Amino acid sequence: MDNLLAARALMGVSLAFHIVYATLGIGLPLMLMLAEGLALKTGDDTWHLLARRWIRPAGVLFAIGAVSGTILSFELGLLWPQFMAFSGPMIGLAFSMEGFAFFTEAIFLALYIYGEERLSRRTLFLCTIPLTLASAVSAVFVISANGWMNTPAGFQMIDGAPANVQPMRAFFNQAWLHQAVHGTLAAYVATAFAVAGFYAMALLKGRGEGDGKKALSLSLAVALVAAPLMLVTGDWAAAAVAEHQTAKLAAMEAHFKTSAAAPLIIGGWPDRETGTVSYGIKIPKLLSLLAHHDPDAVVQGLDAFPQGASPDPRLVHPFFDLMVGSFFVMALALVLYWWPRWRKRETEPGRAQLKYIAFAAPFGIIALESGWMVTEFGRQPWVVMGYLRTSQAVTPNDGLLLVFATFLFVYLALTVGIMRLLLERKHDDAGREVSHG
Amino acid sequence: MADPVTLAALVLVVALILYTLFGGADFGGGIWTALAFGPRAREQREALFNAIGPVWETNHVWLIFIVVTLFTAFPSGFAALFIALMPPLVLALIGINFRGAAFAFRHYGRETGREVPLSATVFEIASVLTPFTLGMAVSATASGTITINYGVTATGTAVWFTPFTIMGGVIGLAICAYLAPVYMTVRVAPPLQDDFRDAAIAAGVALGVATAVMVPLSLRYAPGFSQRLLESWPMLFVVLAVFAGVGTQLLLLWRRFKVAQLGAGATVVLTVAGFAAALAPDLIVGEMSLEAAAAPRASLVAYLAILPFGALILIPSLVYLYWTFRGEPSSALPPAGSENGSSEKM
Ligand code: HDD
Ligand code: HEM
Ligand code: HEM
Repeated sequence: MDNLLAARALMGVSLAFHIVYATLGIGLPLMLMLAEGLALKTGDDTWHLLARRWIRPAGVLFAIGAVSGTILSFELGLLWPQFMAFSGPMIGLAFSMEGFAFFTEAIFLALYIYGEERLSRRTLFLCTIPLTLASAVSAVFVISANGWMNTPAGFQMIDGAPANVQPMRAFFNQAWLHQAVHGTLAAYVATAFAVAGFYAMALLKGRGEGDGKKALSLSLAVALVAAPLMLVTGDWAAAAVAEHQTAKLAAMEAHFKTSAAAPLIIGGWPDRETGTVSYGIKIPKLLSLLAHHDPDAVVQGLDAFPQGASPDPRLVHPFFDLMVGSFFVMALALVLYWWPRWRKRETEPGRAQLKYIAFAAPFGIIALESGWMVTEFGRQPWVVMGYLRTSQAVTPNDGLLLVFATFLFVYLALTVGIMRLLLERKHDDAGREVSHG
Repeated sequence: MADPVTLAALVLVVALILYTLFGGADFGGGIWTALAFGPRAREQREALFNAIGPVWETNHVWLIFIVVTLFTAFPSGFAALFIALMPPLVLALIGINFRGAAFAFRHYGRETGREVPLSATVFEIASVLTPFTLGMAVSATASGTITINYGVTATGTAVWFTPFTIMGGVIGLAICAYLAPVYMTVRVAPPLQDDFRDAAIAAGVALGVATAVMVPLSLRYAPGFSQRLLESWPMLFVVLAVFAGVGTQLLLLWRRFKVAQLGAGATVVLTVAGFAAALAPDLIVGEMSLEAAAAPRASLVAYLAILPFGALILIPSLVYLYWTFRGEPSSALPPAGSENGSSEKM
């Protein structure tokens, strides 16, 4: 593995690791806020107890989110110094504002977690509001930096260096809005499904009567609101990508040859040698329709880009399908759960429903991870689209393979630790099983 | 004075100072967890553990703030530093990670009534490793061994083994070990208070010795830096730091803990400020000036413009946080199972 590949692998693994905790760091505060709000509003204390029980695992997850985020911000310099020397003036603003959001988040999280004995119930609830807002805002900010990498703006290239920098323009780049909205909502969907899955499993095992059902309804209610928006914003994202990131669109759809009335290809394995997709399902004209809202529009294919300047569809197309497919897996779970409730005012989810919910639970995070793979692999070989190649951005230092191996070990150790901590059950003195959820 | 490069550099120094004051005390808590002594060792550990709980994540954000300020306001300096300082920074990162995780695991374990194996040891080792390597990294920027030729940054591996950088690491450790017990003296009652007083005095001596030793070392290994430090106005900081340090020791002896806390803070502020003053107007001594490292004016102005807004949110929140958790540290959550047996439910 050469230095560049080691750096890319390390960056990718670090981000894929961080995003799991970041996602929960965005979604759980919302759930906490809703639960505490319901407790105050209905006077039903089980909501409050439910929220207080979430914070134990949440505390650990947040801590891992913070430290893995720290790894990332160092990695920007350790792995991609040239990228940061180039981009710092443009994307630094987004990161700086994110810094304040982190402060706000850390402060109110601490107040909420540790404040039980020192603060009133009302104040505890009020603390969850800045917590929820700050975490959503931190996503919106960091995604602006990523959007800028995809659609750079706010500077001119003069003699090979950026000049006339306009930080606000860089912040509000073309990809920012759709990515920020779609990406932040994704965190709510993914968290909601993770929580729902946890309680579905618990109910299946005969635990968590009462408040388990409450938690299930709450999380699936959040998902019910957010999931349809994923479809809407996803469509918006695809249209925006079609307009501003044509190479990414071509890779996403495994669309090799520029053509009019382009078909949509679902599934299949793209072959770059022959420029074909084996085993895919073709739906005539649909790509043109979705991308440009016209069934006969011309869609640029990968052949429109010079050799070595476009992404590898094998890394992009399958992940795109996985994201969209996951949406439908989750949508079915929502229908199964809410439809009977709405039709017959039935309130008991049956075992089959619970089983399906448990099955669908991981697809939130799967969709989210794969969406990021689409965005990131779809930008290659550029780190700053059209301006700076990943290979130009990498550090001149040797030994990145060792660093990669070290951090891989760090992540594995943390993952194993968390799994054991959160999933292991202990037996209390009477020999009963006690969960720590 | 009001030029944006200088202002951004000042922000950087302030952030470094705040990280040292808050994050440093946090690491110090870990160091004294490892060094807990005497018949009340267990109580000392408990008190430190509970004091760190609510504030460690916030204290840690100052580090992020430093990194972000560096790459926003001094992007080429950031690039050069992160190329040059890779070895200690990688080690520091590993430390930061394991430390945060070990602390969280342990906290979680406490609340569910279990000891999480290894978490205490990992926390202690990481609390030593991180300030040591960060101290090395900071002192290396002053050592004059980082070179930039035609845009190519280089440092020999040798720099990590010079007494100057190693002593920089030791000073990093000493600062942390000094701050934590001083802060603890105002938060606990005797006899624990006396333990922390003894710890603070010992660490104060260690810090004094380490910085004193650093003087001849820097004359020998970092002549460019020591010249600026000792032969012009930054010298003032050194003198004041010595006074503050000695004064604080006396205050500790006299048990004037509230004032001693301020004195200790002042000592550390003056030490870090002196270092920064001697480094200025460079970011990397002799090789890269702040001016050369700085971002274009528009970026600096935008960065500086958001700071007041950020401060408007941050300062009241921080005050509220430290105010809420002032006084005797306690573990806020009732032990597991005390919520009317609710832990049996999910
Ligand atoms: C719960 C997660 C989730 C779900 C159900 C979906 N997405 Fe998504 N998608 C993401 C989570 C996500 C993401 C991980 O959050 C991404 C990565 C970058 C971003 O901004 O959001 C993303 C990116 C992303 C992009 C690339 C944007 C860019 O690179 O600029 C497109 C075109 C879509 N999505 C389209 C869709 C469509 C058509 C969906 C159909 C239902 C869909 N997504 C469901
Ligand atoms: C959190 C979700 C994200 C995931 C899972 C993710 C994933 C990845 C992956 C897999 C790579 C390697 C791509 C390759 O080299 O082939 C990568 C690269 C990179 N990502 Fe992301 N990314 C995420 C978000 C972000 C954000 C928000 C930013 C910046 C603000 C960012 C900045 C970078 C940089 C600088 C690189 C290295 C250069 C490059 O390979 O293009 N990423 N990411
Ligand atoms: C889309 C991608 C990302 C999202 C949505 C995201 C979101 C978040 C959130 C919500 C947190 C705080 C929650 C927690 O502690 O668990 C967090 C922490 C953090 N993130 Fe990310 N992040 C992303 C990518 C990145 C990238 C690319 C970087 C830096 C290069 C980064 C740096 C950090 C840092 C430094 C922290 C720690 C803050 C603290 O100390 O509290 N994140 N992130």
